Amino acid sequence: MKHKQGSFIRGYVTVQIKGNRPELFFQKCMQAGILVWDIKKTGDDLCVGNVKLSDIKKIRSIKRKMDYKIQFISKKGYPFFIKRFTRKKQLMVGLIMSFMLIIFLSNIIWEVRITGVPSDIEEKISKQLNNYGIHSGAWIFTLESPNSIQQQLVQDVPELLWVGVHQKGTTFYLEGVEKSIVKEEESRGPRHLIANKKGIIKNMYVSEGLPRVAVNDYVEPGDVLVSGILNEDEIEAEKEEDENSEETETNLELVTADGEITATTWYEVTVNVPLEGNYEHVTGNQKDKYYLQLGRLQLPIWGFGKPDYDEIHRESNEKSINFFKWELPIKFVTNTLSEKVNNNVERTKEEAINTGIQQAKNELKLQLGQDSKIISENVLHETTESGKVKLNLYISVEEDIVRNEPIQPINQGD
Amino acid sequence: MKKLQQRIRPWLVKYFALPSDVILELPRITIIGQLHVYIENHQGLETYSDTELRLKTNKGFIQILGSSFVLKMMLPEEILLEGTITEVKFISE
Repeated sequence: MKHKQGSFIRGYVTVQIKGNRPELFFQKCMQAGILVWDIKKTGDDLCVGNVKLSDIKKIRSIKRKMDYKIQFISKKGYPFFIKRFTRKKQLMVGLIMSFMLIIFLSNIIWEVRITGVPSDIEEKISKQLNNYGIHSGAWIFTLESPNSIQQQLVQDVPELLWVGVHQKGTTFYLEGVEKSIVKEEESRGPRHLIANKKGIIKNMYVSEGLPRVAVNDYVEPGDVLVSGILNEDEIEAEKEEDENSEETETNLELVTADGEITATTWYEVTVNVPLEGNYEHVTGNQKDKYYLQLGRLQLPIWGFGKPDYDEIHRESNEKSINFFKWELPIKFVTNTLSEKVNNNVERTKEEAINTGIQQAKNELKLQLGQDSKIISENVLHETTESGKVKLNLYISVEEDIVRNEPIQPINQGD
Repeated sequence: MKKLQQRIRPWLVKYFALPSDVILELPRITIIGQLHVYIENHQGLETYSDTELRLKTNKGFIQILGSSFVLKMMLPEEILLEGTITEVKFISE
């Protein structure tokens, strides 16, 4: 039986022999070393047997010497299958088309699933996603990577604390975590407002409590700005009166001090500004080149020719093509060649000082938050040293200096 | 000379326990139930039909009778017959 192995792959033919004593034909084949199997005598002068495709030539030469009629009844096996298949062009085209269609469909987003956030934010997110071009029906490889989508989303939807984006096959999963805007728990208990920085009071608005400072007062950190004890003065007075007498119970009138107090504060900042700067920036001219990458081989599909600029900043973006959920070894590569310009800046001393001031202001603003306002800046000291200008700046800022401090139950009487 | 050889061979088989089918060039027939007959060392097909297979051997013929015969495999000196076997006969010349 071993001899028959692989006959399907290499193809075999069923032959019918017609003639007087047809089995003798197979006898001859056998003697010539041709393997024949499944021989059946179907009639007195008919015999059917299977012969390998590669032995047909030999059979023909045997037949020439004998007086038999040979008929090929059926052809079986892989070679015939392929032949038949290639003959049907429509079928081939159809098959290729359907394969392409599957690839095509595998690379389209079918669903964007957002979980973990309430529906109003979900709506917001999906709106944003639409802006980025992520919606069902979009090409997957025209999209940016999940990472950058993640970043963009967090930036554009302020309610989001974090969002996890991952792509699984044709579905985009977004898992959001809502920023639970914890309202600073208003300690409704009695409290003072005290200063957390030194400065000069610029503006006061006290909605509750007893103000202890006035506009243009200088305060140090820790100073009470608004007291939460309304009858503090009386108590002081009483205390003095009763200095020597027995302890008296005084009722404290406690409130939650509240108000807005801004003060002018000042900072000393040191900045270093180089006189010579070197930076490059892209001009906005760019050319996209598209490739299909197969292993190391890159087949350009679109965007031929060299861009007409020399200084090039390259950015390459790879997207693999999917077949169902599997990644094909084919990648879709977008190369963006943007024109870049090298800028050599030589600043005069004055310019350097200006940029230094601007830089210091920006940094300070970042540190202090949005509510602060920079009023003025003065250069205290400047030195030029090995191509750098060193600046000592004095910047005054108007900012909120209030800090809450709850009033501890005071042990009265001592 | 031929006579001598023919006499020595059975003797070899008998006293040296050599396989008789090889030494005497006799057919070796393996029958599995009624289903298969496997014949080695034959010397060619004589007749073959749906109900009868006759093979030449060096001492006459082997005749196999039965019904719905199919030659499953045919190689020089080897034959595998499938069908319903009813009789295996030796016909001497």
